[in-house]
Amino acid sequence: MRYLALSLSLLLLLSSCYKEPLYHSQSYVFGTLVDISIYGETDARARLLANQVLKDFQNLHNRLHAWKPISAGNPSELGKLNAAFEHGRSINISPDLAFMLADATKLSVASNGLFNPAIGHLISTWGFQRDEFSAVNIDAEKITALVNDNPKMSDIVLKDNNVYSTNPAVKVDLGGYAKGYALDFAAHYLRKEHVKNALINIGGNIIAIGQHGDQAWRVGIQHPRQPNAIATLDLPDGWAIGTSGDYQRYFMSGGKRYCHIIDPRTGYPVSHTQSVTVLVPPSDHAGVLSDVVSKPIFIETSDNRSKVAQAFGINQFMVIDAQSTILVSKTLAQKLHWISGVKFSEIP
Amino acid sequence: MLNFQKYLKSFNPRLIARHLLVGDWLTILVSILGVLYLFQILWTNEHAAKVQIRLGDKIYATYSLNQQRDIHVHGKLGDAVISISQGKVRFAKSPCTTQYCVHQGWLARAGQVAICIPNQISLELVGEAKPYDSLNY
Repeated sequence: MRYLALSLSLLLLLSSCYKEPLYHSQSYVFGTLVDISIYGETDARARLLANQVLKDFQNLHNRLHAWKPISAGNPSELGKLNAAFEHGRSINISPDLAFMLADATKLSVASNGLFNPAIGHLISTWGFQRDEFSAVNIDAEKITALVNDNPKMSDIVLKDNNVYSTNPAVKVDLGGYAKGYALDFAAHYLRKEHVKNALINIGGNIIAIGQHGDQAWRVGIQHPRQPNAIATLDLPDGWAIGTSGDYQRYFMSGGKRYCHIIDPRTGYPVSHTQSVTVLVPPSDHAGVLSDVVSKPIFIETSDNRSKVAQAFGINQFMVIDAQSTILVSKTLAQKLHWISGVKFSEIP
Repeated sequence: MLNFQKYLKSFNPRLIARHLLVGDWLTILVSILGVLYLFQILWTNEHAAKVQIRLGDKIYATYSLNQQRDIHVHGKLGDAVISISQGKVRFAKSPCTTQYCVHQGWLARAGQVAICIPNQISLELVGEAKPYDSLNY
């Protein structure tokens, strides 16, 4: 009996050495790292599917690029739209871009304008419409003027894929929306191709399909100031998670950090928060919400964060403030596995 | 089989305990503590054995951390220097403006990553078990 048990456990050990059907690829699109895992498909098919997803991402990226033309004198589709808005003209756009504008407008209204993709001129003034971020001269007068121009998504008038803006100051930058849209797009495509298990990560916005073998996909949440994860959590089928932080896109000037998340009310980068993570339940919109909802929570002051999250039906989120204090909503705290020695408080 | 069981029965704990001296108990205690200590160090805080360097969408190379060397990798912006020393690895130099990758400092535990998005180079420490499938950064 003893020997039987021993040989059985040896067999079990050996069987764990088999190569699991996991395909993994990394690439750089949308100015960030794209990481795709596909489980349970042959390597060849997984590679084909992942490459198609990356091709679609690259195509979306080129069309929605906020400042880079496709070639000299040939602006991106979004570039053409912004030029038309600036000159008070109307323009015909693709149905999917029309959908994105209408959708982003709805979300912007729900956030009371804290999520505002119409502030492209402000983002560019702060130097964040570039591949690399270096310190800029802060022109207080110009910033005040740009805020007073009051560009809003609801200034955009959309009818049958024809669009114009009632405010020439509107310059659309979908930097806080496109990655989420791409996640939903890819998840929809992979499910249509009968992929049962996949995990897609676009620069910290992640969506899960199925699971990793016999357990859920597991994601790590990066510490905003240290080179390691602070916690891990299981991401079940259809769930999405997204983080906005001040640590990938920022510049330092006079010892102060200026991050890419700008408060549309003041025109200045937010400095009271290091990162915000939101966990989004399954829906055909989970990817978009994982990208969008972290921004208004990031911008809002601490007493109003739960309220703004609630406006999107989100109650699972984590905030790490400027003092590196970790605040977690009760429902999310129950799901996190802290790496070690992490102190946190629950958001009431 | 029978002999084996007889042999096992000769290890009567009460009989053994009566013959042990203080020094024996101390030896046992110290070895138990030693095993627990090593378990804590080597098992739970899993130190990585290798670093995987990725350049763009390709795995550039995998290196053992058990050596002392500088690796020069030509990224999208220019040359980055990656240093390996005594079981640790870091970005020592990078042509990017933010230097976020360099500020990440030394990595030593499995699952730790440092990513230089502008220069499209990433380091990931690989060990026995991966603590997660993807990182929400």
